[in-house]
Order: sequence, then C-alpha cells, then structure tokens
Amino acid sequence: MRELIHDIRNQLAVAVATVEAFRDGMLEPTPERLDDVLSALAAVETLLAKLPRDSDGTAPPM
Amino acid sequence: MEGRTVLLVDDEPMLVDVLERYLRDDGFTVVRAADGPGAVEAFERSRPDLVVLDINLPGFPGTDVLRKIRAIRDVPIIMLTGRADEVDRVVGLELGADDYVAKPFSPREVVARVKSVLRRAERPQAAAAHHERRVGAIVIDTVAHEVHVDGKPVTLTPTQFKILDVLAQHVGQTLTRDQLLERVSADGDVYDRTLDRHIANLRARVEPDPSNPRHIVTVFGVGYKMVAPT
Repeated sequence: MRELIHDIRNQLAVAVATVEAFRDGMLEPTPERLDDVLSALAAVETLLAKLPRDSDGTAPPM
Repeated sequence: MEGRTVLLVDDEPMLVDVLERYLRDDGFTVVRAADGPGAVEAFERSRPDLVVLDINLPGFPGTDVLRKIRAIRDVPIIMLTGRADEVDRVVGLELGADDYVAKPFSPREVVARVKSVLRRAERPQAAAAHHERRVGAIVIDTVAHEVHVDGKPVTLTPTQFKILDVLAQHVGQTLTRDQLLERVSADGDVYDRTLDRHIANLRARVEPDPSNPRHIVTVFGVGYKMVAPT
C-alpha cells in the first residue's frame, strides 16, 4: 500500500514537473515529451486501480 | 549561485531532465545519477556543492547514499520523497538531510530550496572570511585573536597581535613609527624605543626567515610596511 502510493506520487511528479517546464518555456513540448506525460498519467490510473477497496467498494482516501 | 555544482539523483529520467533544465537556467552546473552506486561514484568524481537525492533508488536506497556521501564529505543534501511518513526520519536527527521536497513538486520550488540551503550552508564560511585577514602565509583571525602561519598556530603577546593586525589592515602602505604607536598603544604602554623590539619578536614568530623578513618590512627612516610576498 505504501509502495503503491509512493509510485503514484512518483508518476504524478513526472507529469506535474514536465507540464510546468512546458509552461515556463524550459522544455519544448515535443510529441515524445507529451507522450511521456500521458504515460505517467496512464501509470497513475493503473496504480489507482490496484489500491485496496474498502468493504463498501470505494477507494480509501490517499 | 553561478558555478555551483548540483548532483541530481533520481531514477526517473524525465524528472532529472526537468530539474537539470531549471538549475542550468540559474547558472548551476548539473551532474546526474540514476541509482545508488552511480550517485556515490558521481559524488566522488564531481565534488558537488549540493546533492538532490531521491529517497527511493535502485541499487541501494537513498538513505544509504546519504550516509555514504556524508562519510566522504559534509555537503548539503535535499531529499526528494514520495511518502509523507518518511519526512520525519529524513530531516530528523537520524539522517540529517538539510531539507526535503515531497513529490509531486514544482521544479521552481526545488530550485528555491537548493538556493536557500546553499545560502544557509555558505553563510558561516562567508562570516569567517570576513573577520580573517590573510597576508601571504599569515592568517589573522580578529575575532578569535588567533594567528596561523602556513596553517600552524603561533602564540603572540597582545601587543604583538595589535601591531600585526594594524599592519595587516594597511597592506602595502608604510606606517610611520608614530602612526603605529598611536594605533597599537591605546593607553601608552608601548614606547618608541620598544616598538623595534616588538617588531623583532613578532618577526621571530611569523616570518619563515626572521633575519630576512618578507611580510613585515622596514622602510628605513620612516617606519614599517606589511607586504604580501609573491
């Protein structure tokens, strides 16, 4: 569970930092880099699906 | 912060790319590593001024890297962490990182922390430099009242210390005997005839060859002058 949350934060970190770099003009938003951001967000989605569910079927708060 | 070297350690290349870009934009030199052994190797090779270190690394964990690095040299370290429960351990006494940034983070925030930690780390040295006078091989600490010659401590009497300090404040400038006496002897305890004796004793302690003084030189008929030997 802890590892899962850690991995989610790591992938979010990639997406957030990269988009900020685009905004600040630090990196060119090339198609490859936009794909990297999308991959990170897709990984977050996959990881979220692995989080254990509460008995009522809702995901626990992070 | 121009010219400072930062070692970035994270196994996520995209994060390192982004941070490297921001730090370079601010004039930093950036060295990168992606795992524990690589981080230690890069640290020894590049002698960075600060390390930004992910706590979760392949090879061996960031906490081990921190210990290994600190065993080599005391350098400011900022940890990147993806777990709130790690923070106390990381910044607390156990590991003694200088600061941490939680993931996800804003790259600007990381750069701001890097600058602030470097400023904090460099302040004591800057203060030390301010109350140190260096003339050639002689270093005078005006706060601790200590004198080192070629890195070795020398013991001076209070009058000898005052004479040396006054001369060192006017490197390259000839001070007449009257000027020296006036500045050294606030309560008139140093007399004209004893000044030469004090200078001779001072030379015996701070000059590598007292019979051929190269720091405290006599200007015949005028007084004395301190020079930095080339």
